Amino acid sequence: MRGGWVEPGPLDDEDKLNRDQARSVLRRLWTLLGPYRSAVYVASLVLVAQTACLLAGPWLVRYGVDAGLIDKNASALNRASIAYLIVALIGLVLGRIVIWMVSKTGEQFLRYLRARVFKHLIGLSMGFFEREKTGRLVARMTSDIDALQELISQGLVMFVQNILIFFGAIVVIFWMSWQLALAVLVIVPPVVFASRWFRRESNRAYLEVRESIGTNMATLQEGLEGVRVVQAFGREGGWTRRFRDTNEAQFEANLETVRISARYFPLVEFTGVVGIAVIVGAGGVMVNEAIISVGTVLAFVLYLNNIFEPIQQLSQLYNTVQSSGAALQKIFGLLDTEAAVGEKPGAVDLPAEGVLKIGAVSFAYGGGPPDTDGVVAPEGPIVLSGVSLEVLPGERLALVGPTGAGKSTLAKLMVRFYDPREGHVTFGGVDLRDATLASLRERIVVVPQEGFLFAGTVRENVRVGRVGATNAEIDAAIAALGLAQIFESFPDGLDTEVRERGSRLSAGEKQLVSLARAALADPALLVLDEATSNLDPGTERQVELALERLSEGRTVVVVAHRLSTAERCDRIAVVDGGRLVEIGTHDELIERRERYSRLFAAWDAGQERTA
Amino acid sequence: MVVDDEREIRRAGWRLIGNAVRPQKWWIAGGITAGIVWTAAKLTIPLLAAAAIDDGLHQGDIGHVIRLTCVMIAVGVVQGICTGLRRYSAFRIALRTETDLRQRLFAHLQRLHFAFHDHAQTGQLMARANTDIQQIETLVILMPLTAASLVTMIGVIVIMALEDPVLALLALGAMPFLNIAAARFSKRIAPVNMDLQQELADLSGVVEESLSGIRVVKGFGAERMQIEKLEAEADAVLDRALASARLRAGFMPLIDFLPTLSMVAILFYGGHQVLAGQLEIGSILAFNLYIFMLIWPLRMVGMLIAQASRASAGGGRVDQILKTDLLITDAPGAVAMPVGPGEIRFEGVRFGYGPGRAVLNGLDLTIRGGEAVALVGATGGGKSTIGRLLPRFYDIEGGALLIDGVDVRSIRIAELRSEIGIVFEDTFLFSDSVRENIAFANPEASFESVQRAARLSGAEEFVTKLPDGYDTIVGENGFSLSGGQRQRIAIARAVLADPRILILDDATSAVDPTKEHEIRAALGEVMEGRTTLIIAHRPATIALADRVVLIDDGRAIAQGTHDELLASSQRYREVLAQAEAAGPIALDAAP
Ligand SMILES: Nc1ncnc2c1ncn2[C@@H]1O[C@H](COP(=O)(O)OP(=O)(O)OP(=O)(O)O)[C@@H](O)[C@H]1O
Ligand SMILES: Nc1ncnc2c1ncn2[C@@H]1O[C@H](COP(=O)(O)OP(=O)(O)OP(=O)(O)O)[C@@H](O)[C@H]1O
Ligand SMILES: [Mg+2]
Ligand SMILES: [Mg+2]
Repeated sequence: MRGGWVEPGPLDDEDKLNRDQARSVLRRLWTLLGPYRSAVYVASLVLVAQTACLLAGPWLVRYGVDAGLIDKNASALNRASIAYLIVALIGLVLGRIVIWMVSKTGEQFLRYLRARVFKHLIGLSMGFFEREKTGRLVARMTSDIDALQELISQGLVMFVQNILIFFGAIVVIFWMSWQLALAVLVIVPPVVFASRWFRRESNRAYLEVRESIGTNMATLQEGLEGVRVVQAFGREGGWTRRFRDTNEAQFEANLETVRISARYFPLVEFTGVVGIAVIVGAGGVMVNEAIISVGTVLAFVLYLNNIFEPIQQLSQLYNTVQSSGAALQKIFGLLDTEAAVGEKPGAVDLPAEGVLKIGAVSFAYGGGPPDTDGVVAPEGPIVLSGVSLEVLPGERLALVGPTGAGKSTLAKLMVRFYDPREGHVTFGGVDLRDATLASLRERIVVVPQEGFLFAGTVRENVRVGRVGATNAEIDAAIAALGLAQIFESFPDGLDTEVRERGSRLSAGEKQLVSLARAALADPALLVLDEATSNLDPGTERQVELALERLSEGRTVVVVAHRLSTAERCDRIAVVDGGRLVEIGTHDELIERRERYSRLFAAWDAGQERTA
Repeated sequence: MVVDDEREIRRAGWRLIGNAVRPQKWWIAGGITAGIVWTAAKLTIPLLAAAAIDDGLHQGDIGHVIRLTCVMIAVGVVQGICTGLRRYSAFRIALRTETDLRQRLFAHLQRLHFAFHDHAQTGQLMARANTDIQQIETLVILMPLTAASLVTMIGVIVIMALEDPVLALLALGAMPFLNIAAARFSKRIAPVNMDLQQELADLSGVVEESLSGIRVVKGFGAERMQIEKLEAEADAVLDRALASARLRAGFMPLIDFLPTLSMVAILFYGGHQVLAGQLEIGSILAFNLYIFMLIWPLRMVGMLIAQASRASAGGGRVDQILKTDLLITDAPGAVAMPVGPGEIRFEGVRFGYGPGRAVLNGLDLTIRGGEAVALVGATGGGKSTIGRLLPRFYDIEGGALLIDGVDVRSIRIAELRSEIGIVFEDTFLFSDSVRENIAFANPEASFESVQRAARLSGAEEFVTKLPDGYDTIVGENGFSLSGGQRQRIAIARAVLADPRILILDDATSAVDPTKEHEIRAALGEVMEGRTTLIIAHRPATIALADRVVLIDDGRAIAQGTHDELLASSQRYREVLAQAEAAGPIALDAAP
């Protein structure tokens, strides 16, 4: 859009690219553009031609006035008019070609970039996701790429064209009359100066706007997500007031930008009038002195527009271009982040079965490679130290211990969400770090403590367990857990929408869906991290049996707080303070009369009291 | 029918916009006045320029040229001041409207019943509060600006027609096409852009979901599935973006082209008129300047037409939410919470979340004041539902639900809810400090009472070890707590509310057995003198209750102590997996 209120995207200091960064972003972009390069060349040529057509207009007017009107030559006037018409038509056609070419190339490139960034992102390791806030990563894929989309669909052609028009017009007016050109250029410094002031001020104000919108939207979102808690505790009034504060802050921030532009635009319009006045006044004197022709004065007035608009537009577009550059740089930063838990060259497939061996493993969260901002997370406290453990094929092992002991962490190491700081984890004799990720995910599957349902049907959610499973296979897995029975009573059966985060289901039903995924996946080693904590013991038992039946001879590791579950396992490992303090069968550990037997006594006491 | 609905929605949208704008009438009047003065100033400039060229240059009167130049500059000052005023008032009105509407929407959403939120998606509601309200904002900005534009258009047409009617006709002949093209373009691109926004939202939905559920995605190696989903969305985005680009490629160059046609006409016909001595050269300049002046107003009117339809549709959608009645409200003549011991009676209560599937059918249950009752039952049996009916998150469909003999539907909701503390089974913490989360029910609570609540819920020990203790920010954007830790903060939150009735919905599922007896002891203290509903699967937690009620098939099918039920109820044994005791179901041999 020309002229409108193209809102400049705000920039904060970290968004600003210095010259070196800008150069490297551009170089990188150029490499990435590979297959699209020829289109870029052609589009540039067409753009130059189109700009020439735009600039030819006033020139032809001048010719028409001087050769036609002043010299009283009708055919010169006709020639000028027809040429003007032809040039305008060519400009029309070229304009369409440019916009279409740039958009098409740009959008296809963005399509490629989205897929590429997402593939890279989703392949990064768990440690990365714990460090980075989900919101920020989502922003990489959305607002950052959207900024580029904005640039392509609105700004890029305009930006380049405005530069061409501005310099083109200046060259032309100097060519026509350097004296009048110099006189007119008197008004350029104030406009440039005002535009720079405007850019700086509005940038500062828009930063505030961006910040206040962010806060306001966060309040809005949290107020909606937590609306049930808000109502349960009767805090609607408090939250509405809280929202009023952030909402009004957004209003104030926005109003500040309006104040700034209400100061800038008067000046610009006024200078425009001064420009015309100078041309007419100074031009009048010069025409009188026969230094220039009347046609030149007319052409100058028309070209004035071509100098004026680009300055205003560029000052607004500048920020769009800058923030796109910053967005690209952030995206490149993400693409440069390597998966800490990646696949080694020459990685081998894990054997179909084998012993899971944890050898003298120590672990702390944090540390690791720098994140996308180049910040290295501080290393956290040691969570596991010197844990050694073997899980035999076909064995059921329980991990028990107090909250924060490190059970979930140990489970995560078993499936290589993280690599241990020290020691090693092997399966069938192959270090997990040397295994292909595909075979690893196929052999070892974890049902995490924080089960997660995607918006969609029950069936679609179960399919996550094994991508590409047929409906029949999914139904079989669901039936095996006795879920079919539960969902049959739902209006849409297995095609019931579970809604955001599975809010349509009861807590236990959600866990059953997660477990059905595990049943469908049917791996050699299944790790269940409190995957049955919300089930009634009857259903829990039924699920355990079903899983056992399904995965006859499979290895299972369960993290459980219910010792009744632990009791049924072949062996029990007690984790406390990041150490493996005891391991053995239920009976052995009871005999030893140490940690587990104390735990069990406490648990049993609960049972006793009710029994 | 559908069309009528659509029209009705738009009409409602207009009403909403009208009501929202009305309080700003002084600003509107000021803005329009400034706009008209601005227009008048602007229109005189070309006249002055033409006069300068014709009177001055041709007649060689330089003094006159300079005088006219000075007048131009003076007019420029007026124009500048007025443009500032009109812009400021236009934007201010729009921003105020936007802010007020969003505030109303939020306040209403905060009060809407659970059943509404069950069906609404957060993303959709956010879109109402953002995109839709912004459409209205854009329209409101355009309105006073367009008023000035209309005046400009009329002024230009009149001035040109007075000068040379034929030339005016020729010069302006192409301009309505700009208006038409702009209106058509806006109309055609609006749905495409709306689709594009929708596809972008869907795409960000896939990204957001994949990243929030990254443990599940990685745990099952389901990356490929998510990548395929994303690529499908990216293709849809590309498709819509190209459709939008096609429209833009068709329209944008016209913005330069159509005015150029006018200029050609002015040059050609006007030139011949000059040759014929009917027109001055200065008029050619003036006409050209007027054409420039018309470009924006014409586009603006086109935009306004299209924006009006978008804004009224958006306003209609916002209005639909605003006029959704609160299903759960104070009955006329609602009474205070009865001052009794807190006895709860369900009498033949029937309830379902939607048509076709009853969750509770004829629940009879009495809980004496001060008593602690455990609800036990199979997954999906309706236990949590029972807990949600008491504070009237949903209203029952049949039967009666009484607290101390008073129907809950006749008690003032604020009081009812303040006397009921609930720990939800899925813990939601706000992105605030631990202290603010615990003191949620009463932000003015003293630090001592926060500490006491934390101690009673067994949270104190780990909270003091957090990086900033009670000031550590938790929640989605804060420190990641383990499942058990989150649950305890939620318990502390309910404890601090100091309710007469306490509902613990599976509130100890992630609490480890070592802590369990500590919490049990503490909870015993908390439950003292309160009526407590404990929903639990674990015998140890069930043991907190005086009495156990077995919920099955939406009814209370058995009650008694744990022992009695174990002995008497086959179903109870099944649910607690203690069937071995009675023997009828053969389970696997102990390992
Ligand atoms: N992503 C993380 N970043 C930093 N510290 C973490 C992270 N996850 C866990 N921790 C810390 O590591 C320790 C062990 O956590 P872990 O989740 O393994 O405990 P757990 O034994 O599974 O406990 P629970 O029974 O509550 O699930 C805790 O102190 C916890 O605060
Ligand atoms: N918001 C809802 N909309 C529609 N149906 C629901 C909703 N919440 C629960 N249900 C359904 O109502 C039934 C009872 O759910 P409820 O949450 O009361 O079960 P529950 O006994 O608490 O189970 P659990 O032990 O698994 O938590 C379930 O079948 C569930 O799918
Ligand atoms: Mg855990
Ligand atoms: Mg429940």
